[in-house]
Amino acid sequence: MDLSYTPQDQAFRQRVRAWLAENVPRQKLTTMEEKKAWHRKLYDAGFIGMGLPREYGGRDARPMEQAIVGEEMVRAKAPPPLNGLGIAIVIPTLIHHGTEQQKRRFIHKLLTAEELWCQLYSEPNAGSDLASLQCRADLVGDEFVINGQKIWNSGAHEADWGLLLARTDRNAPKHQGISCILVDMHTPGVEVRTLKQISGSEEFCEVFFTDVRVPRENLVGELNAGWQIAQTTLSYERGGNTLSRYARMLQQVTRLLDVCRVLQRNGRPAIEDPVVRQKLGQVYAEMEVLRYASLRILSRLERGLRPGPESSIAKLHYSELDKRVQELILDVLGPYGQQVGGIPDELALEPGVAYGETGSWMYAFLWSRAGTIYAGSSEIQKNIIGERVLGLPKEVRADRVAAQVASAASGDGAD
Amino acid sequence: MDFEFTEDQVMLRGLMREFLSEQCPVSHVRAMMDDPRGYDRDLYRRLVQLGVLPFPEEYGGGALGMIEQAIVLEEMGRIPYPGPYFSTVILAGSAIMASGDSRAQARYLPDICNGDLTMTLAFLEDGISWGPDGISLSMAREGENYRLDGVKRFVPFGQSVDVILVVARLGGERGAEGISLVAVPTDAPGLVIEPEVMMDLTSKTATLRFDGVHVPAENVVGSVGGGWPAVEIALRQAAVGASAEMLGAARKSLEMSVDYAKVRKQFGQYIGQFQAIKHKLAEMLELVENAHAAVYYAAWALDAGAPDAVLAASVAKSTVNVAARRVCGEAIQVHGGIGFTWEYDLHLYFKRAKHLEPLYGDTEYHRERVLQEALAGRVAGSV
Ligand SMILES: Cc1cc2nc3c(=O)[nH]c(=O)nc-3n(C[C@H](O)[C@H](O)[C@H](O)COP(=O)(O)OP(=O)(O)OC[C@H]3O[C@@H](n4cnc5c(N)ncnc54)[C@H](O)[C@@H]3O)c2cc1C
Repeated sequence: MDLSYTPQDQAFRQRVRAWLAENVPRQKLTTMEEKKAWHRKLYDAGFIGMGLPREYGGRDARPMEQAIVGEEMVRAKAPPPLNGLGIAIVIPTLIHHGTEQQKRRFIHKLLTAEELWCQLYSEPNAGSDLASLQCRADLVGDEFVINGQKIWNSGAHEADWGLLLARTDRNAPKHQGISCILVDMHTPGVEVRTLKQISGSEEFCEVFFTDVRVPRENLVGELNAGWQIAQTTLSYERGGNTLSRYARMLQQVTRLLDVCRVLQRNGRPAIEDPVVRQKLGQVYAEMEVLRYASLRILSRLERGLRPGPESSIAKLHYSELDKRVQELILDVLGPYGQQVGGIPDELALEPGVAYGETGSWMYAFLWSRAGTIYAGSSEIQKNIIGERVLGLPKEVRADRVAAQVASAASGDGAD
Repeated sequence: MDFEFTEDQVMLRGLMREFLSEQCPVSHVRAMMDDPRGYDRDLYRRLVQLGVLPFPEEYGGGALGMIEQAIVLEEMGRIPYPGPYFSTVILAGSAIMASGDSRAQARYLPDICNGDLTMTLAFLEDGISWGPDGISLSMAREGENYRLDGVKRFVPFGQSVDVILVVARLGGERGAEGISLVAVPTDAPGLVIEPEVMMDLTSKTATLRFDGVHVPAENVVGSVGGGWPAVEIALRQAAVGASAEMLGAARKSLEMSVDYAKVRKQFGQYIGQFQAIKHKLAEMLELVENAHAAVYYAAWALDAGAPDAVLAASVAKSTVNVAARRVCGEAIQVHGGIGFTWEYDLHLYFKRAKHLEPLYGDTEYHRERVLQEALAGRVAGSV
């Protein structure tokens, strides 16, 4: 057990830091062109998808190197790259299950953000219970004909491609009739509507499919094997880079400490108020524990151990922690924490931020409510931890009971 | 970067688990609850003779680091081991080491290492304070001797160890000035020892009344009046050590709860199938794993002399205080009525964890320390 960074890692951090100091754009990126140009720069520097094998455009980087880049990006206040979900989910899906032709066609353009991707999984009636999805893809000749609706799809309005889960066999049990299909978002019959979030921004969407025709060669893996494919790659979404989340939290809390020197509470600087000090000490301690826990995960990854169901503990930890931290920040700041327009610069997280834009205390606070819903809600994580880590017996669920009754009635439930 | 135990550390854990489960079964723990001394001297001697001690090899110790100490203490928390290991090794031993007083080290450490000497540290007084301001027990020079007057409370195994290391104050001094460590044998005239009866019967404590106790000047450990830094180091190691013990108690309580949830049936199903129970257990696991990360990070930071070692120690104690409280408490809830019985062992862990919670700094004390360190920039992560 040795928790110090190796000299190589330290040197790597210095190189990354120096590169970012020189290259991070000075002005806020507003247009998609600007964002793509920045992404391309990061890609050319070797910072995008760096953990991927070289043959797929990565550089076989170690988990620690990826973590360092993530942390330094936050530290340098670098704008995030594009295609986050695509890199986290679509690429592993293609690498593990795609054809050679699909890999060649899609991976490079995704990494360079020449093509933007979205994830088309959730439906109005299929969220946590994703396997109950109803959007249909009927095989007609050499094409799938897709009809149905998806919802909560981040970035679908800007996406060129989508990774779709659709039902290809309506008679099979619910987990067995699903396929994974790559859909060109510019195909006729695809309609995308943005939805406004509680943050005031419009990042996720509804997507409607009306007789959308997709060539059969866009099927990933076997027909009706989509559920297994989604299962293997969903855990990538949860593994997450918790160290960069720590870095972001540290940035906010460090700013909070500065603000507390200026902000007056009960006639003295907030930083001198013992009640405020308790809260600040608590936040800081909780945040440090996130760092220690992240290092522990990283050290496992460095040893080549894959994040199994234990990654659910990390996901539960950082997403629930973020809510606690954001609540505490707002406690300490009083109404200033909720102020966007007109907040004095010396009390703001970042100056000059509008409602619905990243960079305000309010925006960070509101976003913390999403983290415990997407990528498997906290309740779902607790089920996974309970059943797959602690080995507790599975819960009694109406759909399982119904499936048992159905299979018993059809006579194949004798075993 | 490697957060996994080394092979040697895994072996140490195995050794401790085997030794304690064989030599210190719960029947022994319960027998010691009724024993006025609170521990078995033979068992203590065998335990110490395993070599699981931080002291240098020249004194007969195993030169263990804080990580190894934490492993040992976590195992003790799982029993929970009744005896003056913590008070002798972590409290008094750390203070003697930190004092830098080689004469005192040569005088006490060899006997500690072969199990012939048990010790403790007398720190708390009538008021509760973990800073130097809490110390008012007075010490005054009288010829070749020092005279001690005052009261110490909640002294771990104060009724049954051989020598007490007393934190005293030279007359007239304030703050950290004048703080000294003085070794007082338990049979010193003028010392009245009153056993306290505490919730955790596996951890004995005593009130010590010093009424004109005279000890020779050579019993001062470290410099006269300059003892505070050593006390502070000992308290910091004790905070991390106590956290490790609480972690052991919490993990054991979680394991018992998971096992129980797999066999206990109500309403025609295992209680572990109810989400209310399953989710509680998942939360308990998260708390335990985070406590593990906090304890061993802090232990590593102390060993490595990391810039954030003080911060990490306080992060650990404040985190584990909260985690152990919840995990050991919820374990009782998961068990229902049987968890509330004297017969069932859960309350032993619940009480051990509670016993350690206010000691060596409670949650609020350590959160304040965390903030002080953060404001002073003694941190590891960079913004
Ligand atoms: C910001 C954001 C971005 C998103 N981006 C995408 C995206 O890009 N692509 C995409 O496909 N989806 C996306 N989602 C959707 C997300 O995956 C779903 O919201 C999530 O799976 C939960 O589904 P639901 O919203 O239908 O809630 P429900 O599943 O209806 O859950 C409602 C409540 O019931 C609880 N619950 C459900 N099942 C159980 C159970 N078995 N046990 C206990 N409690 C249970 C849940 O925990 C929750 O508290 C996004 C969501 C958000 C908030």
